[in-house]
Amino acid sequence: MELTRNEIVQKLNEIVDMALGEIAVTADESSNLTTDLGLNSVGLLYVVIAIEEFFGVRFDDVSFGDFQTVGDVVDYIEKKLKA
Amino acid sequence: MIYQSDAHVFDKYADPKYLDRIVDYENVTQMWKNSVKTYPSNVALVDGRQITYTELDEEVSRFRSVLLKKGVTAGDKVGVFAPNSIEFAKAFLAITTLGAVAVLLPPHLPAEAVFGCSTKYGMKALVYHKALEEKVVLVREKSPVKLVSAEETAEEGAPMVEVKGEAPCAVVFTGGTTGKNKGALLSQQAIMRGTKNGCYGVKGVFEQRYFLVLPLTHVFGLIRNLLTSLYTGSTLYICRDNKNMFREIAVFKPTSIILVPALAELALNLSKQFKKNMLGEDLKTIVCGAAAVPPYLIREYKKLGIDLHPGYGLTESANLVSGNPEPMNKPDSVGFLYPGIQCRVVDGELWLKGINMQDCYYGEQEENDAAYSDGWFRTGDLVRFDEDGSLYITGRIKEVIVLSTGEKISPAEVEVKFDALDIVQDCLIYKSEEGGREILVLEVLPRASELAKVQTDDKEKYLRDQINAVNKTLPAFSRVSKIVVRDTDFARSPSMKILRDKNGTDKK
Repeated sequence: MELTRNEIVQKLNEIVDMALGEIAVTADESSNLTTDLGLNSVGLLYVVIAIEEFFGVRFDDVSFGDFQTVGDVVDYIEKKLKA
Repeated sequence: MIYQSDAHVFDKYADPKYLDRIVDYENVTQMWKNSVKTYPSNVALVDGRQITYTELDEEVSRFRSVLLKKGVTAGDKVGVFAPNSIEFAKAFLAITTLGAVAVLLPPHLPAEAVFGCSTKYGMKALVYHKALEEKVVLVREKSPVKLVSAEETAEEGAPMVEVKGEAPCAVVFTGGTTGKNKGALLSQQAIMRGTKNGCYGVKGVFEQRYFLVLPLTHVFGLIRNLLTSLYTGSTLYICRDNKNMFREIAVFKPTSIILVPALAELALNLSKQFKKNMLGEDLKTIVCGAAAVPPYLIREYKKLGIDLHPGYGLTESANLVSGNPEPMNKPDSVGFLYPGIQCRVVDGELWLKGINMQDCYYGEQEENDAAYSDGWFRTGDLVRFDEDGSLYITGRIKEVIVLSTGEKISPAEVEVKFDALDIVQDCLIYKSEEGGREILVLEVLPRASELAKVQTDDKEKYLRDQINAVNKTLPAFSRVSKIVVRDTDFARSPSMKILRDKNGTDKK
């Protein structure tokens, strides 16, 4: 899958919207997953599963707790997509 | 008034060919002997490897030998410190079929707490899983408690022991009604009754494929998941990491799954986002509890052909007190009391008695004094029954809001009215002050997937209008005066309950 970083961020925004049940959220790469976006443990679980489902990548060598910001997640997805 | 449950109220919901298999066992030994005899070649557990009832029985028997060699006998307390795994199930069965008492330690406990529990509960031995070995180091260094690796085995097996139903069987930790962690001491017959209750009210119960995501140290995981599965000759798939649950579900194809509402909603949202049933095409039943179940979930899962049954239970009652066999008829009810449960409703509070109830909070005199009145366990939950005997949870005593007028409001009773709106995912009511005036505030977390379907430019106005329409139907004193629409989730407990003391009143 050929995706730019912006496209990945855009898709992550959709996923986070669903995870939070919010009207709309605008996350950028600097947004902190818990303190800015308010993702709790179930919200983070949703995001992990949805990313795996949509991007076809596996979080098999990391814990999602290792990620602080949206940018960290984008880095990981990019690395996995190129692998 | 004392309510006695109807012994046959669930009969009509059971598959007739299985009804005579729903019987009482006095102890775990009787139940386990019957399951091994009736379902010898059924797969009992799947956890990386799969193991039949006969094979599991053999491993349990050898592990009883290991425990006997460590000096464990009936009545001794033996800690179990293991993540969800075959080893957990094996240790639990070996300990309890020896007539000893399994003290179930949550795997997240730090080393200091494991050591503290080993002393407080007077453990003879502590069975630990290799994944948690570094957290038993203090016990190894400072305590006379014998450490037993869950992987140890013996050349020969050892026979099961039959103990009386009143004999203690397990200590399960609970936050209970006061929030302080304490151990509920459950008898053999309490745990067996709780296990049997798990067979009522849903169609497919025997020889099913169950999927475990809840912790086995919690009664909902231990009793309704593991033990009901073993009682019914079913196969239990042990999911070790929730992150992998949907991938593993796609392969295992469970017919039945036990979930807390937050996980049920997560699965539903994923199913909608990816336009496929993430819980697998064979799933027929979700049993949902440990927190209030939104009626929305029941309706949405029905559209997928899945019956979601709400229920009510406590650690102190060996899990199951009531279950709703017809959720589409009364989606906001937690159903009928299970057979053998006695209850009183005193000033709106549910009091319980029955053989499913705990003996006491172990070693907690003060907590016991507060929790019991005349031999009845006071749940702290506010309830009502309807004319058909269906039970409704309307709130918690300690959450009751007392207005300056002296009027009392149970916030959960009001919140459920707003929760009934599909566009509301969760809400919270609390008392606040504005301009020197006492007001009720409603904080709302919208359900985006439903709000997105509404054809309007101003979705927040639509949400507020809908809430105001509900508000007008409430008695004047319980109407909310201020609506706060949240853009982030509420602070929640590990089991995803909203933490009332950490939300609202400017604490968010």
